[in-house]
Amino acid sequence: MVASVDKIGRREFLRAGLVFGAGAAGLAAGYAAVPDVFARAIYAAKQEKVVNDKVLVMIQLAGGNDGLQTVMPLADASYRDLRPQLSKSADEALPISKDFGLNKNLVGTKKLWDDGKLAIVQGVGYPKPSFSHFDSIRVWETADPDRRQQDGWLGKTIADNYDSAGHPLVGCACGTTGIPGALRDLEATLTVVNSQQSFKWSGGDEMEKAMGALYTSTPGIYGALFDTAVTTARDTVAQLKSSAASYTPKAQYTDNPKLVYSSKNQLAAALQLAAQLIVTGTGVKVLHVTLGGFDTHYTQQQRHDDLMGYFDQAVSAFYADLAAHGMSDRVLIATWSEFGRRPKENASAGTDHGTSAPVFLMGDTVKGGLYGAAPSLSKLDTGGNLAWNVDFRSVYQEILDGHLEVDAKEVFSQSFDKLAIIRA
Amino acid sequence: MDELKAPEAPLAPEKKAVLTRRTVLAAAAAAGAGVAAARLVALANEPTFDRVPITGTQGNNTGLDWLAPLGNEAARVSHLLRRTTFGATAEELDRAQTDGYAKTVNRLIDTTIAEPPALAGGDDASQENPLNVGALQQWWIDWMLASPTPFGERMTLFWHGHFTSDFRKVGNQYPFLYWQNLTWRKNALADLKTMLYGVTIDPAMLRYLDLGNSTAQSPNENYSRELMELFTMGPDAFTEDDVRAGAKALSGWREPRTQAMIDADIKRQQMRTGQAPKTTPKADSVKTGVFEAQRGYKGAPFTYLGESRVWNTDAVLDKILQQDATAPFIVRKLLTAFVSPTPSDPYVARLAAGYRKSRYDTKALMRDIFMSPEFTAADTYRALIKSPTEVMIHSAKALGDKTLSRLVAGQGQGMGQTLFDPPSVGGWPQNESWVSSNTMLARANFVTAAVQATKKLPSAANAHNTQIDGVMSAQTLKLLNEAADDKRRWSILLASPEFQLK
Repeated sequence: MVASVDKIGRREFLRAGLVFGAGAAGLAAGYAAVPDVFARAIYAAKQEKVVNDKVLVMIQLAGGNDGLQTVMPLADASYRDLRPQLSKSADEALPISKDFGLNKNLVGTKKLWDDGKLAIVQGVGYPKPSFSHFDSIRVWETADPDRRQQDGWLGKTIADNYDSAGHPLVGCACGTTGIPGALRDLEATLTVVNSQQSFKWSGGDEMEKAMGALYTSTPGIYGALFDTAVTTARDTVAQLKSSAASYTPKAQYTDNPKLVYSSKNQLAAALQLAAQLIVTGTGVKVLHVTLGGFDTHYTQQQRHDDLMGYFDQAVSAFYADLAAHGMSDRVLIATWSEFGRRPKENASAGTDHGTSAPVFLMGDTVKGGLYGAAPSLSKLDTGGNLAWNVDFRSVYQEILDGHLEVDAKEVFSQSFDKLAIIRA
Repeated sequence: MDELKAPEAPLAPEKKAVLTRRTVLAAAAAAGAGVAAARLVALANEPTFDRVPITGTQGNNTGLDWLAPLGNEAARVSHLLRRTTFGATAEELDRAQTDGYAKTVNRLIDTTIAEPPALAGGDDASQENPLNVGALQQWWIDWMLASPTPFGERMTLFWHGHFTSDFRKVGNQYPFLYWQNLTWRKNALADLKTMLYGVTIDPAMLRYLDLGNSTAQSPNENYSRELMELFTMGPDAFTEDDVRAGAKALSGWREPRTQAMIDADIKRQQMRTGQAPKTTPKADSVKTGVFEAQRGYKGAPFTYLGESRVWNTDAVLDKILQQDATAPFIVRKLLTAFVSPTPSDPYVARLAAGYRKSRYDTKALMRDIFMSPEFTAADTYRALIKSPTEVMIHSAKALGDKTLSRLVAGQGQGMGQTLFDPPSVGGWPQNESWVSSNTMLARANFVTAAVQATKKLPSAANAHNTQIDGVMSAQTLKLLNEAADDKRRWSILLASPEFQLK
């Protein structure tokens, strides 16, 4: 079979070139151990290709999103004591229950809530939480609180279930230049598109052909990595070209000039590209986008409110675009962030690194509502931090089993408490 | 267009027009330092070179490594310049080749780092006249290209990636980011204590990691944590209690105020309220943080990193320098940037011991690194990937056109590196993290633009020798030989995998 020969060729190729790459990928992310590449290279053939039209969009809120300013515990008496300044936002919160309200700028998100399309999982965290951005990002990316895994959980999902060789858009990061850790896996081909406009060969066909020729069987420890990236770039340029030609956005992706933190909503541009890839049938399965700036140690209120505004506008436009194209029933949008923030605000009217926080799952297939439980503000741990009630991997498991309909147990090698959020 | 000509041995002589990598390697293997392979190592006067063992050991039947020419002094000198000075102009290369390896190392390290010309409007940046971040980026890139001590710029770039700050958080209504660049350069080869003190009270850092707003009453933990985790000791060498204690111990600093900042404030207030403020603060005479004892901690002794005493900033830094984790952490970071993506533990330990013994003399450390056998070992040849800034500065130097700095300033983003805007407080991840479909496309597009923008293209006839040691893959060799003109030959060379590596 031709396809399997290709797959084996690619695997051999990776095995040859990335003996080093595994260790180095790890090194860059701060990983110490080198995985047994040879053991993994003799992976059996891939699962039978999982055939459905589901798409996952993961939104990273980088820097540690303050859950208590996102979903505000209006009824918790300690909230205003702990946050004399930040709790002013509670006056303008958008109530979703008698106890909780969304940040005032989550207007479109609130509409999804009203339509039963937003599930909020509260108190999501993991045992022995790390307060380091990098360690905790790695925990969430690899789905491993022990920080031993190297591969990203989304990369592993792709490697286990989809044939990504030659189809680089199966797993794609939009609006960035590097491969996010969650997508990283030696066995998966991933692409990265910073912006549609600049994703072309400015040297034309001649340069593209030259690059293809130059990056063939490249020697050295980075050889396979280089060659794969260039091949993927060529494939992606070709696919994007035809995709762009057949896409017209059916929603307004805009910057809001009233937001002062930045003049440009980068999440909106990234999600518009994601929408294009989805509605033009590029075969995309897993998309990753990032909104940064959540490390709000200082004068948090304005910044965080603005970030909520960016998030809300981008996601609202994205959902509306998908719905107008008749594709919102295929797409699950989920958020993640390395940690929440300390309940007690600091002297700089900001908050320091904390522990658990809520996670959003949004889409037509979601059974809207509150899941998990918000940790009590009067029962903080010795460090003044929130307890956690839901292991973040329970959320991942529900995303894989419930939405993508792939075997989460194979990805995580274990099972977690079941959350029933996605409609059967 | 002539075929590539090497000084000693023609690269692709007519009689051997088809010289594949495989045949070269086979020949080299058969003959030791064989004749065919020598043609690939054209720099060598006496073409002796090491045959590099195939990496990846068993099962790796395609991952042939580059032939390291580092047995040859001239190649070692080029290797040194690639890693320490953003490559070299023709003159820089000539001089270093004449001086030889050891003398060049000494010159790099012992020459006082040249200061860049002042950034126009830099010191007076304020709300009224904010720093132009694009101009700041280009100012530095101009100096990377023009500085007579480019090793100082390479070290400044290293520290910028280590002690990061970004313009998004620091803002441009102050001279702080500009000053930070000057401070990192000034301390680039200073002892680590001096550097750390400069880092801790650097105005941009006071803002970036919030120490400038931290008081004893409610200490902000941001700087205290990153000082230990990212700047000196690594993540597993301290406790959460140490983070809190450190924040308390370091509290009391504030950002300095310049007259321009104060004047701009007054003007704003006048516009808003119609009158001048009754009292105005005095400008500070320093370009560092200002310590305000009344905001700092003045209570009983407490425990930090296992010791109970009364703490101040100086004592905190001394305590950190006493930690066993500190020297290896800094050394590993430097080795990963300058020598190998995977420096061995014994190598790190050896250099770290020397670093600590020298009381953290960074000059001595850098000399130890460049003179260590590991730096010029065959397996370190092309073991590092040039960062976007490096690859662009290398290109501009190779093309001999300093006016490319404007292009360089604008093109880093697509490759994953915008100066003064690292992706996070951890700086830029290195080596293979620079490689993705997006970044490789962006690297190719930069080459297209740079070759296009170069006013007078130099001859590319010998570029394969000066830029990539004459060591190249069969594909690169073939494409270079097929290139119809200098423009195409430069494009191939600068876009090649060989040129991305250092």
